[in-house]
Amino acid sequence: MFKFFFKQENKVEELIYKYLENFQLICENFEKAVFSCIREPLCEEFNFLKEQTDKYESKADDIIDEINNLMYGKVLIPDSREDIMKLLHALDKIPGYLEIVLFMIKYQKLVIPEKFFKDIQDLIEVSLEACEALSKQIIGFIKKESGTRILMNIIDKHESHCDYIEKRLIQKTFSSNIDPFIKLQLKELIICMGDISDQADRVSKMINILSMKRRV
Amino acid sequence: MYSLLGGIFLGWSLGANDASNIFGTAVSSRMIKFWTAALLASVFVILGALISGQAGIETLKSLTSFNISQAIISSIAAALTVSVMTFLGLPVSTSQAVVGAIIGIGIINGQLNIAGLGKVFICWFTTPIGGALITITLYKFLAFGYNYLKIGLFGSDQLLKTCLIISGSYGAYALGANNVANVTAVFVGAGTLSIFGAALIGGLSIAFGILTFSRPVMETIGKKLVSLDPFSALMVSMAVGITIHIYTIIGVPVSSSQAVVGSVIGIGIIKGASTVNTHTLKNILLAWFLTPVIACLIAILITFGSYLKYTGK
Repeated sequence: MFKFFFKQENKVEELIYKYLENFQLICENFEKAVFSCIREPLCEEFNFLKEQTDKYESKADDIIDEINNLMYGKVLIPDSREDIMKLLHALDKIPGYLEIVLFMIKYQKLVIPEKFFKDIQDLIEVSLEACEALSKQIIGFIKKESGTRILMNIIDKHESHCDYIEKRLIQKTFSSNIDPFIKLQLKELIICMGDISDQADRVSKMINILSMKRRV
Repeated sequence: MYSLLGGIFLGWSLGANDASNIFGTAVSSRMIKFWTAALLASVFVILGALISGQAGIETLKSLTSFNISQAIISSIAAALTVSVMTFLGLPVSTSQAVVGAIIGIGIINGQLNIAGLGKVFICWFTTPIGGALITITLYKFLAFGYNYLKIGLFGSDQLLKTCLIISGSYGAYALGANNVANVTAVFVGAGTLSIFGAALIGGLSIAFGILTFSRPVMETIGKKLVSLDPFSALMVSMAVGITIHIYTIIGVPVSSSQAVVGSVIGIGIIKGASTVNTHTLKNILLAWFLTPVIACLIAILITFGSYLKYTGK
């Protein structure tokens, strides 16, 4: 409807979908990178996948900048502008956390002990499932589709599950007999991994509030 | 032509002040660019004046009989009142100022159309009430549809923007049709202008006011009054247009500012919130009473002043 008169607005919408596609690519590469690191620590594949993740993260920043520029050009009515920018900036923290995790593994030369493999794998999988659901929830919010509340509940469950795994991992770390310095490094890594689902949950709840706010 | 200057000035100040009641919320909240709003408002004000301005002109010219000097005095008195009230920072109604000035002239002439005045007063009282009722009705119906329509964020954004432009243009049409009588009706009464001529000159002078001086008022009015969500702003804009249009059909020039205040109060009733602050409301009520009284007194004083002669003693 009236598409012709709203070229800039349509461009913002396309950019948001492009951002979400890119967000998925970041998550996929991140997952592959962490799992490759578990299989074979500090291998070449990990380095390649980390670089790919960085590349997509940087692309995500470019998209956000482009959306920002369009928004400052007064595209959309102020309420929608504020809602979208708030949402995107909150969402954009997630790729940041993913990048930090890979950065820690690479530059602190972290090797995840075998007894933590399963839990770390679970933590990453559940966190990324929360991110995937979040991506769907954002699309649902933009398109005003039903089911965004269901997705919020799913994300909330994933977040609680991640919290549980995170606590268990930290407990296991400190009750293990590995080097105390590595214990601290691992604790930092686990907390950073836990931040992924925490942020997904925050964004998901924000979407719920924005949806309620937009009802008249 | 010079005798029309008072009316043209009044039209100019009306355009500069009252366009904000139509597009103010949309422009001040940056939903519509100022120049888009100003151009649309100017075009539609002229169209409204030319197509539907006749009824209001007929009503005002029938309130009393004028000669040309009284027509000039009443337009100057109204213009001065508008300027004084604006200077005092009170929300002023040009319609009330004009009718107040006409009453002043009527008192001097000893001839007032009481039935016509009664109709005008009733309409003044019912303008904000009508604005509120229309807003509540529109909001209830349209909010139901808006919530259940599966239009996405971008779609609803575009819909709101488009509707704001359409309703603003409609409001400008109604404003031109309703308020052109304030500008030039007295000159029709004095026999200086034909109804078409009065509508054209009145419409052009209002449009001139919109194009040259409405920007500061438009950019601040929405913020001064209340901050509305986009849907409520649209409802206010639509309700103001409809309210003014109804009074145009009745043939009584009313205040668009009072219609806006009524509409915003209507939004407050729906949302269970205080949408207009008490200070603003007090000022509105004060101006409501003072505007016609001051205009009436100024018109009487100028008339007496015009009779004074220098005797040389």
